[in-house]
Amino acid sequence: MAKTELYDITIKVNDRTVSARIPAETTLLDFLRDQGFIEVKRGCDKGDCGACTVIMDGKAILSCITLALQADGASVYTVKSLGTPQRLHPLQKAFVELEALQCGFCTPGMLLSAKALLDSNPHPTRSEIREAISGNLCRCTGYQKIVDAIEAVSKGAYR
Amino acid sequence: MSGFRFYRPDTLAQLLERKQKEGRRARILDGGSNVLVYVKEGTIEGGTLVDVRRLKALKGIAVKSGHVEIGAGEVIADIIASPVIRREASFLAEALQQFANPLVRNMATLAGNIADSSPIGDSIPPLLVLEAEVVAAGRQGRRVIPLDRFFTGPGANVLKPSEVILKIRFPVPGKGRGCFLKLGLRRGTSCSVASVAVWTQTKGGAIEEARIALGGVAPTPLRARLTEELLKGRKPDPELLERVAGRVQHEISPISDVRASAEYRRQVTAKLLAKALRHTLRLEE
Repeated sequence: MAKTELYDITIKVNDRTVSARIPAETTLLDFLRDQGFIEVKRGCDKGDCGACTVIMDGKAILSCITLALQADGASVYTVKSLGTPQRLHPLQKAFVELEALQCGFCTPGMLLSAKALLDSNPHPTRSEIREAISGNLCRCTGYQKIVDAIEAVSKGAYR
Repeated sequence: MSGFRFYRPDTLAQLLERKQKEGRRARILDGGSNVLVYVKEGTIEGGTLVDVRRLKALKGIAVKSGHVEIGAGEVIADIIASPVIRREASFLAEALQQFANPLVRNMATLAGNIADSSPIGDSIPPLLVLEAEVVAAGRQGRRVIPLDRFFTGPGANVLKPSEVILKIRFPVPGKGRGCFLKLGLRRGTSCSVASVAVWTQTKGGAIEEARIALGGVAPTPLRARLTEELLKGRKPDPELLERVAGRVQHEISPISDVRASAEYRRQVTAKLLAKALRHTLRLEE
């Protein structure tokens, strides 16, 4: 078998420059996890569940069906860009206090879809919130508390 | 696995040259929501992944000589948000709101949905009733393919291995009204069991123009032209619409699969069609 061609890539992840040499078919999800950004979760790995959501050039996208090389030169933000345990993002505070998570596996993706929503539409209706997270599957909570948490943040209850 | 190469053309000429040389082995990748799934499933084995995301020649949404033109590289979310589309073809913007989910809409392109040529591509029935055309390009030149002659079967179309989709265009819609109804097994992120797009225009109380397109009920999305003819010139009333919509079953050939039976698809398509017609003809109960 022919030897695998490798390609140079540089991506800004959470404002940190990360470079690597990778095979063509490496997904952004594989790249991020290989580089230690394991807060980006691998769920279905085919674009159906939203666990791998990241924000790339300002838009929430699925990293499992994005080629890492397509993100060459881009800025990518994972859930860790939102806050730290000492200084949680309002969405993170709301998710914790309103119990909008159980196992937590969908939470990084949920938070980033919620952030993308509130960045573009700070005061969404409940139905707009439901639509915004419709690409993120949660098998624990039944979504009610997630919608409550995002709504609470949009109403200024968490800062 | 691992027999893949990566190529990012800087110009349309470079893209066309690569397609001329490698044909189908050069797989165009924009959003990646189909192609990368095929790579992972092993349906595509090796070849070149051609990244066209930054190709300016494939961008742009504009009105040109009576047509709305949408560049092949425009993603669904940007088409929905486009002032040109909202002004000239708000029906398309409404229809595309039902496409997948916000994450996929940020990635997937209209041209990609057409190139994938799935019988349940949700952008296709709305485009069919808008009488859309595909502008394709190859090294030898360009050609315009009416969308209703583009598909040849599930996942198959008339594009040559050396051709790419340049843009999608359709005549600026007149005064008519459109409606797209998609039936899935749940609201969010679901594949269509069946879908119906309708465009009607009335004059003096009679139906002047009626276009019907269906998804998920034949090997390709299709226009239901026989049913359309039964509506033209008639004064719309709910009973007529119900009866005519029932006739659409003769124009389709659904299959049974994991989502629904053929018989269910036949019945539900008639119901969806009657509902869509009531909506565009303002006969809603």
